[in-house]
Amino acid sequence: MTANPPIARVVVVGSAVPLWLCSTALARALGPIGVKITAVELKTAQMPSQVYATLPPLESFHSKLGVEEAALLRSTAGSFSLGQLFVDGTESRRPGFFHAWGSYGAAIDGVAFFPCWLKAKRNGLDASLESFCPAAVAANYGRMIRPTAEVAALGRTEYAYHVPANAYARELKALAPALGVTVYEESGAQVARSGTDGSIERLVLDSGRIVQGDLYVDATGSSAKLIGGTPASEWRSWQTHFIADRLLLARAPRFTSVPPFSEIRVSRAGWTALYPTQAMTGVAHAYSSGLHSDEEAARLASRVGGSALLDITVQPVSPGIRLKPWNANCVAIGSSACVLDPIHDISVHAVQLGIVHLLSLFPASAEYGAERTEYNRLMSSAFERLRDFQSAFYACSLFAGKFWQLARHHVPPAELLHKSETFRARGVIAPLEDETFLAASWQALFCGLGIVPDSWGPAADALSPTRIAEQCERMLEVIRTRVTAEPMHDEYLAALCGRAAA
Amino acid sequence: MEPSHSSDNLRIVIVGGGTAGWMCALAMARQLPAVSYGITLIESDDIGTVGVGEATLPHIKIFNDSLGINEAQFMRETRATMKLGIEFRDWSQPGQGYIHPFGAFGEPWGGVEFQHHWIRAQRRGASGSALEDYSYSVAAARANAFDFPNEDKKSIRSTYAYAYHFDAGLYSAFLRKLAVEAGVQRMEGQVCDCSRERLSGDITELTLKSGARIAGDLFVDCSGFRALLIGGVLGVSWQDWTHWLPCDRAYAVQCERTGALTPYTRSTAQLAGWIWRIPLQHRVGNGYVFSSRFLTDAEAQQSLLGALEGQALGAPRLLRFSPGRRLHAWSHNCVAIGLASGFLEPLESTSIFLIQAAVVDLISLIPAPHSRTSDPRLANEFNRLNDMQYDRVRDFLILHYMANRRFGEPLWDYVRTMPVPDSLHDKLELFRSRAALPNYQFGLFARDSWLAVLIGQGIEPSHYDRMADVFPLESLDEKLTAFRERVRTNVAAMSSHSEFIANYCGPVATAASEGAEA
Repeated sequence: MTANPPIARVVVVGSAVPLWLCSTALARALGPIGVKITAVELKTAQMPSQVYATLPPLESFHSKLGVEEAALLRSTAGSFSLGQLFVDGTESRRPGFFHAWGSYGAAIDGVAFFPCWLKAKRNGLDASLESFCPAAVAANYGRMIRPTAEVAALGRTEYAYHVPANAYARELKALAPALGVTVYEESGAQVARSGTDGSIERLVLDSGRIVQGDLYVDATGSSAKLIGGTPASEWRSWQTHFIADRLLLARAPRFTSVPPFSEIRVSRAGWTALYPTQAMTGVAHAYSSGLHSDEEAARLASRVGGSALLDITVQPVSPGIRLKPWNANCVAIGSSACVLDPIHDISVHAVQLGIVHLLSLFPASAEYGAERTEYNRLMSSAFERLRDFQSAFYACSLFAGKFWQLARHHVPPAELLHKSETFRARGVIAPLEDETFLAASWQALFCGLGIVPDSWGPAADALSPTRIAEQCERMLEVIRTRVTAEPMHDEYLAALCGRAAA
Repeated sequence: MEPSHSSDNLRIVIVGGGTAGWMCALAMARQLPAVSYGITLIESDDIGTVGVGEATLPHIKIFNDSLGINEAQFMRETRATMKLGIEFRDWSQPGQGYIHPFGAFGEPWGGVEFQHHWIRAQRRGASGSALEDYSYSVAAARANAFDFPNEDKKSIRSTYAYAYHFDAGLYSAFLRKLAVEAGVQRMEGQVCDCSRERLSGDITELTLKSGARIAGDLFVDCSGFRALLIGGVLGVSWQDWTHWLPCDRAYAVQCERTGALTPYTRSTAQLAGWIWRIPLQHRVGNGYVFSSRFLTDAEAQQSLLGALEGQALGAPRLLRFSPGRRLHAWSHNCVAIGLASGFLEPLESTSIFLIQAAVVDLISLIPAPHSRTSDPRLANEFNRLNDMQYDRVRDFLILHYMANRRFGEPLWDYVRTMPVPDSLHDKLELFRSRAALPNYQFGLFARDSWLAVLIGQGIEPSHYDRMADVFPLESLDEKLTAFRERVRTNVAAMSSHSEFIANYCGPVATAASEGAEA
């Protein structure tokens, strides 16, 4: 061991969910080895009335952090999500599709289900891909399904949450003191730097307090208050891949019966997402300022959303990535590292990825150049794979209208192009490292967008069409039976949260 | 000449009948529907096969199993023995050695990988044990013992996999018999001419010396170093890696076995390369892989003969090669598999694995029977996967060379100081900094393999993951001691490798020193 003292103090600066998720998770993991966490909360203007749609890995992240599911959903009035329903409201009138948090179909005689399904479709099967997915079928019936042993026998079933952002941040913040996090609430902070690499020396808070750390985490969102000031902190825009440059956020009254899924309604002007919770429905509407004014967008969003919207806020969106999210002694997590397109709402997951990788590479000593290089490589790769998945929704779409026409003329990332071409040719998903979305998600998305592969792998040809048809019938029946035995989402939530069903 | 696409049947023509050719032919015959794919293989009895790749990786068992091959019969017919790993002698420095096993080291505790606990214990002086004391497969290898892995995942006897040493010539013959039974049409002859479509440049027909013409839709070039189609006809360029892997020749010779029937391959570092020892049931395969920049052929031959444990069976054969890979293994309607697509020295027994991976990928990306030309979209994905496999193996091989303390030997001085690929450099720096292992999902090698070689080559991490410090030191020491004990007692209950082979495959030719093995 060298004499260099190990990192002992981490200062996290930012606000809302990124700040609290980060400081509590770091404190929980690093507390036992004596690392002290300080959270500097920068009070910003009232946060928009946003609902996060999370991804399934958040569940196990929460359990490690000590966030109890029932308590969280009770106190935030959140709900479960089994996936995302896409509905085409444009003149193209394409069938809707469901991107579920789970697998689609089971292998037949050792052959993967997907090529069997492609072959069965060619032979006249009248069943969608999602009708073979327990999570999607349950969502369609308004039921909640958990991966119990019986359900797991039918395939992978996972779930995520819809959680009001402000309430979620409040719950996470409440955990901080017990985890030993020192919290300062400030209106602003000045960054004092030293050295040629722009290392942060200390923070001078508006209250006059001085805060010093060995490592700083920038959770200030796209304003990137810490990392933005480091030299060589280059930003690469992804606007060549994404058309939406405005995002409207609002809330609508809750659904009488809370659906266990997000719904994304595609319109000529862009798309409108509905994220149902027990308290309200979060609404997000993405559009292009070149095509619509904010006022037009607000009218459209409330028409598509089907009700009057409250607390409307509009923010610019400019997707892109920081080439070195860890620069000098500052690590950017969340939007300060990468601004993602709003589709599929991946922002909480992006924060989680940043934390998980920082913890797995948490400096073993004060000499952490190798960790930084690896973190930057890994995060760039993970962010780019998310970008590919998001840009597929635009590049491969067949929806009608100017917005979608222009979207199709954007340049797809090379990796996406390779993936979609391989899929069109053979129906396989080219495996890349550091993917968040598994092959099942890609298949659901590509098929949902209307891509029909030209061929399937030869393994499916070893099975007779009759054998495949029989097995498909059996699967549909087994899934229907299982799913109808599961509780309705409303009842399940009520029981879990300890109150009567609405 | 008949028109190129006369039926709905896709005609696949494999050129070359070595290990690559017959692995490909049999797998295709078993896994592609015969009504849609016709498979012809052209081989010439006048052309020898290279067949240095007699040691394999555990993946070969998956391949054989997927083709319904009976293991005992296959081992009998190819004179196979079991392989638990590779012993590297004198690589880090003369007198030092280690085994790279097909198995795990220890187990993770408290969510922290084993190597961190082990390094921590070493640093605290709490335990002076070597890394290999925590590997069941290394212990079994050192004891010349073998048994099948246990199915029970909780048992320490489940923590390893195994591969084989076999006679590659006999393996090809074994596969050939099965392939011909499965409907592969075998043609004897040498390809002397090739016709191509004028516009697309696709290959349409091959002409043999006999005058026979063979038309096809997809051509698989398994012609070895000659690379008849991919190089000779299509002129696809070659990426040379000699600056990273300077060995470019090998002398190979078989000899009688006098040493133990080891369940592992041995690789012993030499002045200008290394010597392999591969024990088969009836003999031992040996070879000196060397760099012609640092050693003459005559010197290499002499060193090899001097290192043999028994009577040489025949004269040493010289093989010349250049390390590297084809820029694209799939070009037009031609797919190169095996040595025609790339060459990496057999240091980690990867040649047959690379064939297997290419065959599996080609089958899953095979052009549909109704498609009329080779689909560039499928070729791109095949090439991406193939390049990834080669590049990963390349980095792992370079590691063995660059991390050495054989000072004063020109080859070893060169490889210790040469610039290495960035992809390898970053992995090394990360290991040095925190004992973290490369963590990727696709391609060789897994983390325990990296651990074996990094530690074996003498790379010292300056730190370990601090999360390991959460674990109380006393209970760590107990756990380490208990683990070593589990390894010891379980290995003691195994049968000897030679007994195992005799029971499973029939009697093994006795070696002079067989008695000493027990």
